[in-house]
Amino acid sequence: MLGAAAVVAVVALPVAFLIGGSLRQPGLPPPRTPELIPDTFEFGNYERATELVGLGRAALNSFLVAAVSAPLSVLVASWAGFALVLLRPRARSTILAASLLALMVPLTALLVPRFALYRSLGLVDTFAPLVAPALVGTSPIYVLVFYVAFSRLPPELFDACRLEAASPFQVWSRVALPLVRPVAVAVGLLAFVLSWGNFLDPLVYLHDRDLFTLPLALRSLAQLDPTNYPLLLAGAVIATAPVVAIFLVAQRFFLHEHRGAGWLGR
Amino acid sequence: MSAVRLAGLRKDYDGVPAVRGLELEVAEGELLVVLGPSGCGKSTVLRLVAGLEEATDGRILIGDRDVTRLAPGRRNVSMVFQSYALFPHMTAAENIGFGLVVREVRRAEVCERVGRAAALAGCAHLLARRPAQLSGGERQRIALARALVREPDVFLLDEPLSNLDAELRAQTRAELKKLHARVGATMLYVTHDQVEALTLGQRIAVLRDGELQQLGTPDEIWGKPANRFVGRFVGTPAMNILDSGAVLGLETPFGAEVGVRPEHVVLGEEGVQAAVSLVELIGSEALVHLRVAGTELVARVPAETRHLPGDTVRSSARREHVHLYDAETGERLPWR
Repeated sequence: MLGAAAVVAVVALPVAFLIGGSLRQPGLPPPRTPELIPDTFEFGNYERATELVGLGRAALNSFLVAAVSAPLSVLVASWAGFALVLLRPRARSTILAASLLALMVPLTALLVPRFALYRSLGLVDTFAPLVAPALVGTSPIYVLVFYVAFSRLPPELFDACRLEAASPFQVWSRVALPLVRPVAVAVGLLAFVLSWGNFLDPLVYLHDRDLFTLPLALRSLAQLDPTNYPLLLAGAVIATAPVVAIFLVAQRFFLHEHRGAGWLGR
Repeated sequence: MSAVRLAGLRKDYDGVPAVRGLELEVAEGELLVVLGPSGCGKSTVLRLVAGLEEATDGRILIGDRDVTRLAPGRRNVSMVFQSYALFPHMTAAENIGFGLVVREVRRAEVCERVGRAAALAGCAHLLARRPAQLSGGERQRIALARALVREPDVFLLDEPLSNLDAELRAQTRAELKKLHARVGATMLYVTHDQVEALTLGQRIAVLRDGELQQLGTPDEIWGKPANRFVGRFVGTPAMNILDSGAVLGLETPFGAEVGVRPEHVVLGEEGVQAAVSLVELIGSEALVHLRVAGTELVARVPAETRHLPGDTVRSSARREHVHLYDAETGERLPWR
């Protein structure tokens, strides 16, 4: 109980400071000590922050990228994870080892070759480089998460499907994926958050201000002088709110499992 | 319905044989039980027929078709798994109709056939429920209906009663027998439970270490076990195996072991003197453990005989109830 309270405090306090700070009067010197509740509430900060750097447009861009990337990541990562389950053990071990190896490579190490590749394809200053990683499941970790989830399903279920002449796609879509729905929702959320908060890729690939995503727009707000930090915090609240809303909507899906009494008769 | 023939069927796992050159024929419409202890390869046989395992050698024929290299879905067999393998996110009706839906059978026909199969398996009232809302017996019926709905050539049943409690198992066993009589399907039924095998099977194939020990009717398996293993495996408590018939007052050939079932050991006025070491009462019967000339022996007698540990009795057996086995090979020997 005490531990849970500590965790809540660790998470909730910065959020409280964020919201409190976003409502502070801009133009005043920053407080010397942390200030949870400002003297006056300045709700106009949200409007000003939005107008100043085009947060609305940036949010729409971020949403477009994340709305394509997240489902695509789930789709591809779950296909790859499912394929791993169906593979013969030796091939599976090889691919798993390769995936783990890929996880070790820092993304920044690939930044220059990726930029060169997208530039040669004429895709710089488009959303394509931001969405493209989803075509390979975004991260090997998502593939591994799906692999573990699918491999935990009783093999008899897959045997029953094989006897019914179900194709691998039918087994994936009708049996495997519905049974790991909480995992799919969790991976989708992670992919959404990753895409929504992605700063480095838009910084490298997007130069046209109309294409800027939220993290880039927030970066512009960070360049204001310190007395205007309430505007930056207001922008941060605007950037955070959709993710929190999506999490609240999605949580009922990943907290519900089909397993319970009677799972496979055991 | 079609007959099934296994010709020299062999399955190795990393060079270790699980099934060794099995020759077996299941007649059309027959219910054949494959009986054996855990790890004897009986489930592997079923999975080989289903196509879920690839045979190392030999052939599998269903009717006139050689299905050895066919994919499971093209063999037209249905299987009831030990765990039932019901899809937990689907209703009973969706579970039963799954095979038809993935084969793109028309919706109206799926509904009609699901209803018919469910009625046959006695679960028509459960169609809207999900597996988690069903009892073990009800799930078993859904699994049976799923097997029935496609009207396959062969039914494969892998210990389908093992998850049920004793009362439900006995009831479902009887229902399975009636169901077989009704649909007249070719069924290959795997179990380690001898009672199931003896009550359900028209014939029984006893397996040990992947090898067929005996194939025969329940009467033959019970009355004339082909070797010492079958004799001891079928029957509870197990058949007494004695070094010679002298313990029962019988003259037996040199080099022959003697097998006698506990219910055929007679305790009375005649025979060899034996000391009662333990008495186990099981309802209307008692298992009397005896010590005769340094040999342990178990007799099954009516409970009212009320023998007590320390009592001295005389044990004997009728010659026609005594089986002779070669002491070295364990194979059955004839009385001369």
